[in-house]
Amino acid sequence: MDHAAYAGFNPVDNSIHGVVTYPDAWKLHYVEQAFETIDPTLAAAATSTSVIDWHRLKPTDDFQRVFRDAAEFGIGSTGLTIPVRGAYGDSGAFSVVRKCSEAEWKQQRAEIISGLQMRAANFHDRIMRQGRSMFFMRQPNLSAREKEVLQWVAAGKSQTDIGTILSISTRTVEVHLRSAREKLGALTTSHAVARAIGMEIIYPL
Amino acid sequence: MILVVDAINRHLHVDVLDEMFRLRARVFGDRLGWDVDIRDGREIDAFDALNPAYVIGLNDDYEVVACVRALQTTGPHMLSDVFSDILQGEPPLRSATLWESTRFCVDTDRLTMSGRGPGSVSRATCELMIGSLEFARESGIEDIITVIDPVMNRVLKRSDNAPCDYVGATVQMGKTKALAALLDCSEERIERVRKFAGITGDVFVDEKQFVKARAVRKAKAETRSDMSEKIIQYLTEQIDDASDVVELDAALALTEHMLEPGSDARIGHR
Repeated sequence: MDHAAYAGFNPVDNSIHGVVTYPDAWKLHYVEQAFETIDPTLAAAATSTSVIDWHRLKPTDDFQRVFRDAAEFGIGSTGLTIPVRGAYGDSGAFSVVRKCSEAEWKQQRAEIISGLQMRAANFHDRIMRQGRSMFFMRQPNLSAREKEVLQWVAAGKSQTDIGTILSISTRTVEVHLRSAREKLGALTTSHAVARAIGMEIIYPL
Repeated sequence: MILVVDAINRHLHVDVLDEMFRLRARVFGDRLGWDVDIRDGREIDAFDALNPAYVIGLNDDYEVVACVRALQTTGPHMLSDVFSDILQGEPPLRSATLWESTRFCVDTDRLTMSGRGPGSVSRATCELMIGSLEFARESGIEDIITVIDPVMNRVLKRSDNAPCDYVGATVQMGKTKALAALLDCSEERIERVRKFAGITGDVFVDEKQFVKARAVRKAKAETRSDMSEKIIQYLTEQIDDASDVVELDAALALTEHMLEPGSDARIGHR
């Protein structure tokens, strides 16, 4: 991917956050032209809850207007936006963009989409935790099953082992782990175990 | 055929969604006796206001025969807010790659397409399962958690689409029981259901073609008797010639305007 952009809204302290990797010249032009008022990728993320591939927005005048200019700054128009919805009315949008052919895009999209979903949620969560009240509201609330699975990981058991021990499918172990990682703001299982021990959610062994 | 409607294209499918809400009222209210809120013959709840994605099954006449709704588990969803009894006081699973699917239903009275598949699970049911699994997979979703009743649970098992596990407990919900099942969105699962139902090839409808077909039918059905054949032909052509969704939108707006009672229908002046 060439660039990534994130925009988020925290309803508790009414703050708006933006992080982009775009070149300064484009950021300046974007603000000067007030593109944020017409940018269809932003508008779409505010309403849609499913992934928005930009090819669906391409026929609109506003998209053409913004991305014709973007092309002059070397920014492509193949991309997608992942809307993030949090449990406390918070919302965010994580976009990636790339200059490439449709065919190339289609293939790459399939490879990265799942990881992007996870990263978008993780990034959003980190930004939201910066707010003081949100930080306390977002303390991880793990289910008994999630704790149990993490505890067994800490004890060195594999996912297959854990499935056997708890009489659940390996896939279910994976689902509980993924949810536990997300609640703990961790990208990997080791990261989640470290956090869970640090927060005294599970016992160190 | 399967149509996916979300916040980006819902303005094109207002009438489809309306048909879907009526279908939900017939199935969940009339047939299954679920404790749902029905107004004006439509079943709409608070989660429909959150811009969920709908996977909608259509018959050969482009009528709505099946539907299901997808919500993100990171945000408000039914297991966290309505069906929490199933979780027995435990917090819900939350993951960006886990979707919750609810309101899965099929109109058994209206099935015109090749009827029943093997093992008495209809083709429409299988097509909807394939459509929702494929749509989820394309969105980067790895698993689905779905709130179902024991009947649906049997349908899943019979169509080689058995849940890989269950979360929480089976609890009484109104007249029926409800439980939460986990389904992975793997290629293998999709392949199994496709094989079971004998469905090969793309299940998704060409959206442009679908909108056109519905609009042409509507224009023909609603055309007032005082409108000349020429005007009808012109409107149909406009719809047919639309090369993208924006043009189609304009053509539909024009048709709508022309069909309004009292419009003077003078196309030459536009």
